[in-house]
Amino acid sequence: MPMTQYKYVIGDPHVCSGCMICVNTCSMFYFKVIGPEWSRVRVLRIEPGLDFPLFCRNCEDAPCMSACPNEAIFRTSKGVVMVNNKKCNGTGACIAACPYSAIHLNPDTGKAIKCIQCGECVERCPADAIWTTTSNELEERDPDGRILKLHDDHQKALYGRQSE
Amino acid sequence: MIKGLGGEILWVDLTEKKIEKKPVDEKILKKYLLGAGYLSKVIYDMVPPGTDPLGPENVLGIATGTLTASMFPQSSRHVVAALSPLTDVWGESHAAGFWAPELKLAGYDAMFFTGESSNPVYLNIKDDDVSLEDAQIVWGKDVFETDDILRERHGKACRTLAIGQAGENLVRMAAVMNDRDRASARAGLGAVMGAKKLKAVCVRGTGKIEVADPQNYLKHMDKFYKRMLENPFMEGRVKFGTTSLVELMQHIGRLPSYNMKQGVFEGYEQISGDRITREFLIKPRADWSCLQRCGRYTAVEKGPYKYVGGSPEFESQSSLGSRCGNDNLESVLYSHHLCNIYGMDTISVGATISWAMEAWEEGLITSEDTGGIDLEWGNHETIVKLTEMIALREGFGDLLAEGSYRAAQKIGKGSEKFVMAVKKQEIAGQEPRAQKSMGLAAVTSARGADHLYAFPVLDEAGFDDEIRERFGKKYLPEMAERLNPKYKGIMVKMCEDYMVRVESVGLCKYGTQIPPEFYYEDVALALRIHNGLEISPEELEEIGERIVNLNRLFNVRLGITRKDDNLPKRLTDDPAPIGPSAGEVVELEQMLDEYYKVRGWDVETGVPLPETLERLGLQEEAKDIGE
Repeated sequence: MPMTQYKYVIGDPHVCSGCMICVNTCSMFYFKVIGPEWSRVRVLRIEPGLDFPLFCRNCEDAPCMSACPNEAIFRTSKGVVMVNNKKCNGTGACIAACPYSAIHLNPDTGKAIKCIQCGECVERCPADAIWTTTSNELEERDPDGRILKLHDDHQKALYGRQSE
Repeated sequence: MIKGLGGEILWVDLTEKKIEKKPVDEKILKKYLLGAGYLSKVIYDMVPPGTDPLGPENVLGIATGTLTASMFPQSSRHVVAALSPLTDVWGESHAAGFWAPELKLAGYDAMFFTGESSNPVYLNIKDDDVSLEDAQIVWGKDVFETDDILRERHGKACRTLAIGQAGENLVRMAAVMNDRDRASARAGLGAVMGAKKLKAVCVRGTGKIEVADPQNYLKHMDKFYKRMLENPFMEGRVKFGTTSLVELMQHIGRLPSYNMKQGVFEGYEQISGDRITREFLIKPRADWSCLQRCGRYTAVEKGPYKYVGGSPEFESQSSLGSRCGNDNLESVLYSHHLCNIYGMDTISVGATISWAMEAWEEGLITSEDTGGIDLEWGNHETIVKLTEMIALREGFGDLLAEGSYRAAQKIGKGSEKFVMAVKKQEIAGQEPRAQKSMGLAAVTSARGADHLYAFPVLDEAGFDDEIRERFGKKYLPEMAERLNPKYKGIMVKMCEDYMVRVESVGLCKYGTQIPPEFYYEDVALALRIHNGLEISPEELEEIGERIVNLNRLFNVRLGITRKDDNLPKRLTDDPAPIGPSAGEVVELEQMLDEYYKVRGWDVETGVPLPETLERLGLQEEAKDIGE
């Protein structure tokens, strides 16, 4: 992945306890319900002993953006990739395009939802396992690339289709 | 309309293979809440005296709490209950995990299983679709294999609750497991599932939970989280879970050792939390909405005791370690892991083995009985081997699978006096001569000896402020003194009322009792913002009291009276031989008198008085016990 200045949220699978507070914070903050399907973050437990909090990586080339036939996905001046609800009609093209399974449809509205790096969950993580970063910052914090390597090593389980 | 619920209850007739969905009975909910309370009422009504715990007439209930799957700290829990095949009285056990929240998200709050299937089955739930499936592919498999197979079949996102081979083999200390290594361990309820030929409940829920006050929900949670995170207990809880209780209990002489002959163990450092943390801990693990993450994920990397998996906690260290005189930590961890995969209660397994070890020491059990197995204290190979043999009911394990009470009845020769049990269930890891309230709590617990029914830990670690706040200044200093029997009847009564209520809303005792951060006012607030239930702290207290009384009536109906509320003679008559609590006995009768009085139960018989039952709205049930 090329270096970018774009921000995204990342979590440490060795530190995350798997408590789902990030997931529930998100669905409550945005949709006023508790429900992982309404959340923009997922948490996946993979034994032995790994818990992955999973977010949009805010890719520089943002394949979700180019995939959308309705041009409903755009990048703000601050670098956040967002969904324009007025334009989104739930084609699901972004879902197929996202290499991180980080975008899906809200079951009620049928419109795409994804993490927009608001930081509400980061603030509430009781294990301090997630934080907002950029590729450069992450490299500084984790020079051996342990965290991204863990994600890469479990790619198939993490980014396969959620329903599987 | 009550918010924050799944909404429906599943009624599964295993004989007829019929599944019915009914709404939660709001009348019951308002009187008993959900969880332990709801099960208490339904099973009381459906399971009369004379029922065979392992027969088709027994009813197995599994219920979430009103706050299960909420964002309140530590709100992941469910309760399993039935007539117990171990105690022959009220049987109830609880666990945390993700299974219960998943059930809520599928739209259900509880399920009841009646009858008995002719072939092994499992219940599969995918939101609205609920079906009984042939369990041939998982019958005979352990809990972890069952989880793997069912999630391979129905989707990795499913959560499973299952029994292992122990439950299938009707081992009387079989657990109901969930999320692989979480255990509703006590009272042998896994055997009830086994008898019904119900192997597992696999759940996938993709729904949502609507709460009563969504606008202010996170604001309130932020306050709860802040309090929990700033509690001085947090740091140690995260670092050690409950494993470091070995060191703390050794320090006060409350670490059951050598079948509770004594409360100190010379090898305690070898099985300590410190050692587990340094040598075997992979990471602390949490369940749904849990901030404290006392769950451990551990591994022994090589040797005969190699494994990787969840936990242990203090109870397993003491039961499979000090209680059996065993200072080989790898074997403690491994036999604990075996209990998880076979689906057994580590407390009863370790305690039953330790009973056999003492009977061996006394020459009452010989190698003829054991088939050549050596029962010397601390023989870790024996402990590991017997754990497996109990689960599979092999050889001498078949006798131990009955629990220490029944095994001693068979062996006879005076081995009965080494049974450290109340109402046939083995006493958990609290040497009560070093903490009197725990002795009383073991005796009054409706489900046979169990530390969690009252969980009276406030006299354990200097919670004077909380005692003042919760009970009143006038009870200090005596109530806070763990060796002083005074006021322990009052304390255990109030702790029971609170704890059964905690188990009825789906919360953990960690956070509500130790550390005692959240109390009635907080739970009342949570019920308001999550469920929209307006229940005052006083009414909540009464609900707890009502549940305890109904549990008692369930047992009184089965013939339980004060004579059954009794500890093994060792603990009431023999002074603790060594350690910081040397010379102490449990002054049980004195505490019991106080307890019955404050409960409004007859002091002679231990039966609830008519006016008590009337005050709690249990007039109908009162008729069942006559005069």
